[in-house]
Amino acid sequence: MENLLEIKNLEVKADEKEILKGINLEIKKGEIHVIMGPNGSGKTTTANAIMNNPEYTKEKGSILFEGNDITNSRTDEIAKKGIFMSFQLPEEISGVSVTNFLKYAKNKVTGKPVKIFEFKEELKKYMEELNMNSKNLERSLNVGFSGGEKKKNEILQMLILNPKLAILDETDSGLDVDAIKTVSKGIEMFKNENNAVLIITHNTKILHSLKVDYVHVLVNGKIVKTGNQELAKQIEDNGYAQYK
Amino acid sequence: MSTTNINEINRNIYDIKNKDEYEFKIKKGLTPEIIKEISKQKNDPEWMKEFRLKALEVYNKLEMPTWGPDLSELDMEEIATYVRPKTNLNNSWEDVPEDIKDTFDKLGIPEAERTSLAGVGAQYDSEVVYHSMKKELIQQGVIYTDMETAIKEYPKLVQDHFMKCVPVYDHKFVALHGAVWSGGSFVYVPKGVKVDIPLQSYFRLNSPEAGQFEHTLIIVEEGASLHFIEGCSAPKYNKINLHAGCVELYVKDKAYLRYSTIENWSKNMLNLNTKKAIVGKNAKMDWVSGSFGSKISMLYPMSILNGKGAKTEFTGISFAGEGQNLDNGFKVIHNAPETSSVVNAKSISKNGGKCTYRSLVRIAENAKNSKSSVSCESLMLDNSSISDTIPTNDIRTDEVEFSHEAKIGKISDKAIFYLMSRGLSEEDAIAMIVRGFAHPIAKELPVEYAVEMNNLINLEL
Amino acid sequence: MEELSLNETPVRTSKNFLINDIKLEEINFPNKLQAFKGIDISCNSTKINFSSKVSHANLTYGLGETFTKEVNNNANKNLKIEIDSKTRTETQVIFKFDSENLNLIDNIEIIANKDTKATIILKYVSKEEIKAFHNGIIRVYAKKRADIKVILINLLSQASNNFISIENVLEENSKVNFTTVDFGGKNSITNYYSNLSENNSDNRLNTIYLGKDNQLFDLNYIAELYGEKSKVNIEVQGALKDIAKKHFKGTIDFRKGCKKSKGNENEFCVLLSDKAKSLGLPMLLCSEEDVEGNHSSAAGKVGQKELFYIMSRGFDLKDALKLMVKAKFNNILKEIKKDELREEIINEIENRLD
Repeated sequence: MENLLEIKNLEVKADEKEILKGINLEIKKGEIHVIMGPNGSGKTTTANAIMNNPEYTKEKGSILFEGNDITNSRTDEIAKKGIFMSFQLPEEISGVSVTNFLKYAKNKVTGKPVKIFEFKEELKKYMEELNMNSKNLERSLNVGFSGGEKKKNEILQMLILNPKLAILDETDSGLDVDAIKTVSKGIEMFKNENNAVLIITHNTKILHSLKVDYVHVLVNGKIVKTGNQELAKQIEDNGYAQYK
Repeated sequence: MSTTNINEINRNIYDIKNKDEYEFKIKKGLTPEIIKEISKQKNDPEWMKEFRLKALEVYNKLEMPTWGPDLSELDMEEIATYVRPKTNLNNSWEDVPEDIKDTFDKLGIPEAERTSLAGVGAQYDSEVVYHSMKKELIQQGVIYTDMETAIKEYPKLVQDHFMKCVPVYDHKFVALHGAVWSGGSFVYVPKGVKVDIPLQSYFRLNSPEAGQFEHTLIIVEEGASLHFIEGCSAPKYNKINLHAGCVELYVKDKAYLRYSTIENWSKNMLNLNTKKAIVGKNAKMDWVSGSFGSKISMLYPMSILNGKGAKTEFTGISFAGEGQNLDNGFKVIHNAPETSSVVNAKSISKNGGKCTYRSLVRIAENAKNSKSSVSCESLMLDNSSISDTIPTNDIRTDEVEFSHEAKIGKISDKAIFYLMSRGLSEEDAIAMIVRGFAHPIAKELPVEYAVEMNNLINLEL
Repeated sequence: MEELSLNETPVRTSKNFLINDIKLEEINFPNKLQAFKGIDISCNSTKINFSSKVSHANLTYGLGETFTKEVNNNANKNLKIEIDSKTRTETQVIFKFDSENLNLIDNIEIIANKDTKATIILKYVSKEEIKAFHNGIIRVYAKKRADIKVILINLLSQASNNFISIENVLEENSKVNFTTVDFGGKNSITNYYSNLSENNSDNRLNTIYLGKDNQLFDLNYIAELYGEKSKVNIEVQGALKDIAKKHFKGTIDFRKGCKKSKGNENEFCVLLSDKAKSLGLPMLLCSEEDVEGNHSSAAGKVGQKELFYIMSRGFDLKDALKLMVKAKFNNILKEIKKDELREEIINEIENRLD
């Protein structure tokens, strides 16, 4: 089957520092991939490089999405092609309500006018599933949200925008057990055979309630090992020391 | 990614120029003879003529401001201070001459009157050409009329309050105003009457090289309430126009007044306006202010909290583009115990525009248990613009809670990236962040004005 | 004696706000100056040179022409402190005022050469209740990568007049950390200016002041940022009792080109009497887009809840207030690493709050 995402020999710099030193990754439809690694190994850089965050400079390599080169595409074009990234630290945008933002973003991503009634129903359904307070809809985007609320809001955005590939950058970090369960539930609701998920994390808790296909270990800017769910378990027991 | 390219705006609605037709235009300059002629043209009572001449003397004595924007291009010898349009005051739009009515039509005033206002006044150059208010309010004793009519019909009420809140010696341009004022609105809300739907006066300056000096006097009696909206605009000329209006607000005990302004003067206007409110016991004065137009603006509305428990809130935004120097802010004097003030000021500068927030918070010796909190935020949209914050905080007693916060910076690249990752283009992302930035002010305005403000922001971006 | 106007702000605001400058009456400049004998210098390094060969002071701001001129023409103490490259040192200069040494006009130049790491303590003190006069200029040149800390302590007697103009010039990657303890004088007037002209320089200014009786403090602090990635942090903590007054004028000026620079300005004033007065003008001027500027200021009484909490632990009101004021000052006092000096200042706080 054709690759949904293909990263070839990617080298990336941030703040003049070499972070990624040649990454290769292939993700097909229907798969859940996990990138694990200690702090500073380049996990967040990988996610940002896919979205082409201008703070990161690509030195070498390429990224293909559904066979098209998106290495140097603008971030909004990448989003419109169907890649979504859940941010580790979602930005606070004051004066823009969650509802209006989602409506606007959905319109941009789909290129079609949003049907208000259906949209509201969809929102309501997902918010209930994610255990979110509907009052948050009228609040400014992420402003004054707790860490957990911000992360749930990212998952809500993922469900509404319904991308082909969802990248979850440390979505589980800093969350309590219940919140992690809710996030996993969100991922399960999203996942089907036509899309894919790339989870970036440094701990393994979120993997307990999800069935993943591939686990990649990223250390010092390189993927040093790829395996299945069993690999995550090993790391949970032994840490990263053996890969350094 | 950090620099934003923004196109110049299309101000077409505001820029419609009518022919400079008038019934009478005073010759340029300022002399006692000119003042006497204005007074004669306006049919002033004797006291007003004397008042004008005295104000001119004060004007000649006072010096120009030694601070703030450079006003050297203002030459009073080149400004006609009085231009009477070719019509009298009307109370039906049908009677307003076609081209003038057309201007207000395009500004949406008659439409707003039908849908969302309790009364409307419209001034064209130096005189009010239209005034009307709903019958129910007339029956409740509410007065809403032009200043000229008020002087004739309510002489004592006017004489007791006229330039008592803002005395002519406050500063040079108030003295000028006292000498040449014309037009403006007079509102009187009797004790206990609550005016639920806003009143609005719209000021339009059509004549080139002219000045507009309207006087707004509002008295809200004990326990009464009012929302008053002021709108201003002018077409753009190459020569300097001057606006030196004066707004005096008396908010009596337990009364409430909200004064909203959407100012969109053309970019050849010097806007040297003075606004002041005296706030009584347990009364509340709210200011909402959107400042978009003018070449130079010096505008610092002021609340004097004179009664125990008086409150005031100021919510304002300035948006300066190319060639604009908007020096705006707020002043509050806490002059009684248990008074409170809340200030929320924002500014946006782009294309070489300059925004300054200049303010005063003074908590006097007798203002025990008073509170004041001030927050300023300035957004720089590019690297050729300027944004200054110059707040004076004068705290003269100890039983107070005073705090002030200010922030200056650009839109964060991270926020833009976040929105772009959700499918918004860079321009859309910036516009969304700027609209969000202005939202706290927009939400204080009646819906039509919030829409107008958002349109203005979209035009400006 | 006519009124003297001094310590003007770099940008003016409305005259009615009474903060553009300060006007003082009855300042008598001493006309015949004798040599000032009460100076103690202690130093722990030989790579530091003391001389009297100071250069002519051309200040960008300063308190005013009269004051600068007097220092240039009539100083009775010129002190140049030059620290050799790569030297680490701590130096203390104490100026002791007494009835024999009443008037000091000093011109101090501190040159911290490349890669130095130095602490310079300048202490002005009078034990007796005399009417001392001090007018001084302190200039600090921090060369590349120099890291210099200046601690300026004013413990002059209550009747004194204290005038100081400070100017710092920071080269690339240098740090100037200025701490001022401003307690003495009937009038204590300070002008402080930092020029961050090169990239990556870092200037901190920490001030504590404590006013009683009719003391007046006029602090006019100006930092101009030109270089990229420069940092300025101004922190002012003070307390006023009786009819004491403080004027704080702080200006952080982001000039075009100072990309990625940051400026912070925090000012807090505890009012310990209903007649004490706090006037503040924390300005942010900005002609560069890519910067972060913040300021905050607050004034008011000591928090009643905190006070109640402390008193419930057995402190009487006066001791509780002292504790609260000291707690507010603590972050800045921590900058003074020399224990006996810090103790001395804490004792002064105790005495002055009695």
